[in-house]
Amino acid sequence: MMKSHGCSWLLSFPRDAGDEVLEHGIEDGTSVLYLSGVWRLSNLGAIVDALRSLKLDAGRTFVLDGSRLEALDTAAGFTLFRHLAGLGCSESMVSGRGFDQRHSRLLRLVHERMKCPPAAARSIHLGLVQRVGAAAINLWRLLVSHNAFVGAVALDALDLAPRPRRFRLRETVSQFESAGLDAVPIVALVTFLIGVVFAYLLGQQALRYGANIFVVDGVGLAICRELSPLLAAVIVAGRSGAAFTAQIGTMKVQEEIDAISTLGLSPIQVLVIPRLVALTLALPLLVFVGDAAGIAGGMLVAAWQLDIAPATFLERLHDVLPLRALVVGLVKAPVFAVFIALIACRMGMLVARDARSVGVNTTSTVVQSIVWVIVLDAAFAVAFQRLGI
Amino acid sequence: MERVLEVDSIVTRFGPQTIHDGVSFGVARGEVVALIGGSGTGKSVLLKEIIGLLRPASGSIRLLGTEVWRSSPGELNALRRRFGMLFQDGALFSSLTVAENIAVPFRENTDLPMDIIAPLAGFKLALVGLPPEAGKKTPAQLSGGMRKRAALARALALEPEVLFLDEPTSGLDPVGAREFDRLLRLLADSLGLTVFLVTHDLDTLLSIIDRAIVLSAGKVIADGPVAAVMKADDPWIRDYFSARAVLAPAPA
Repeated sequence: MMKSHGCSWLLSFPRDAGDEVLEHGIEDGTSVLYLSGVWRLSNLGAIVDALRSLKLDAGRTFVLDGSRLEALDTAAGFTLFRHLAGLGCSESMVSGRGFDQRHSRLLRLVHERMKCPPAAARSIHLGLVQRVGAAAINLWRLLVSHNAFVGAVALDALDLAPRPRRFRLRETVSQFESAGLDAVPIVALVTFLIGVVFAYLLGQQALRYGANIFVVDGVGLAICRELSPLLAAVIVAGRSGAAFTAQIGTMKVQEEIDAISTLGLSPIQVLVIPRLVALTLALPLLVFVGDAAGIAGGMLVAAWQLDIAPATFLERLHDVLPLRALVVGLVKAPVFAVFIALIACRMGMLVARDARSVGVNTTSTVVQSIVWVIVLDAAFAVAFQRLGI
Repeated sequence: MERVLEVDSIVTRFGPQTIHDGVSFGVARGEVVALIGGSGTGKSVLLKEIIGLLRPASGSIRLLGTEVWRSSPGELNALRRRFGMLFQDGALFSSLTVAENIAVPFRENTDLPMDIIAPLAGFKLALVGLPPEAGKKTPAQLSGGMRKRAALARALALEPEVLFLDEPTSGLDPVGAREFDRLLRLLADSLGLTVFLVTHDLDTLLSIIDRAIVLSAGKVIADGPVAAVMKADDPWIRDYFSARAVLAPAPA
């Protein structure tokens, strides 16, 4: 044992009776262990040291003398009994004397409670193959349950179609406001800045060939087809995705979702579908805002650095930017939105009853959403290229 | 008889509402004392003020010789190692196992190595009557009664002199509640613990409590042995104790 409360190195110094917690003596042929001073948790290091340096014949009977004991608590009592048991001393070989009533009662309680020894930790080591297998099975089960969730959402959505009055319009509008309208400033700001950066980069290259005006084409295409949808989706994933997971997760912990089911309502219809619909309508709006802001940013840099007046910029844009580019961006948006909303709500429903779970799941939502958005974007790129769009 | 807790003229206000208007009482060493009162009389608030979590508007609280609200953070932390608190739903750390929960006070407040802490934590489990297997479970996997016992084990880790409990038997079935009461009394008697609890449980009051303090309308309206308090001439007290048809004290 590395640390004790200062007594083991004192062995070389002469000790007066006040320092000893344990003394071993022989009286009329019986081994006597004198417990003295403070036998408490604060002194446990010294007590353990003293016990370990004790040499006892396991076969002999001995007496515990508590007359010199000033203070005693259960930690010290337990340590003493455990040590004695570890040396092989059985109950019949130990007797006590000289303990005052309080200490006596305490030791009796400790002894009685010690009858059930604490279970030794049995650690099971799994081999690599077993761990990979277990992970694969868990992953499969997780994917199956995700799939089940998506199916349940689809079924509940279809269930609503013939009963439009059951659709929660107020909740959907409220979610639309926080996911869509409240995000407009930040999406506009971010895409504006990206527009600025992109136009500047392109402009540097274009200037070399005296081809300034082509910056307009580049900025328009890049912003509308790729940058605006991607950035808007990432921002929505971080803002709304995280919020959905945290809201639904906290409701799960507080058993509100169970309460919804008990009232005969479907938690998916009450919680998931409004958020899904709100996000699907909000994200194209945000992409459009992003398109405008991004182009505005490009326009600013073009006027500043490339001598292209705003009027010229817009005229060129009008000539070269195909409607297709805008539409492609706006078509991607609902697809991204569906993925983000489903992932966020699903992770919210999976929150467990401990303090870390909400945080862990929220982080996971954001990461998963961003990864999926980028994967989908790449898939779209390939698909459009094949389709010649 | 030494007084371990002295509460003097506590006044508590939340905005315009006055919850306590001059609450005073004392608790002597080794007593098992219950604080009772109707809902909203601020019992749990008073408990939080005593253990240093919520500041009263005025008044003083002296616990184990330390003025709770006039001491430095260092003194307050030193005081916190001398008492244990059991919150209403246990308040166990949800991401640790029970054994790890009990080990937390040892690890944070002593420099004992793990090979001494682990068996000590196991012993605390046995002390409160939990089986050794409970140590490996997380709080979410335990029933309410077991959670409270695990939290009690954690509260007792540093061998406290005083134990505070907030409605320890709430949510327990009658048998579980009685067992918990018996455990508290056994620990108080064997370890010389002073116990202060907030409770609504008439069974607790009639079986293990030495003295009851009744809080009503912001003041202490009765303070004495349960038998005496039961006969007090106050409508709320009479209503409270008549909530049961038969008031035979539970077999000890």
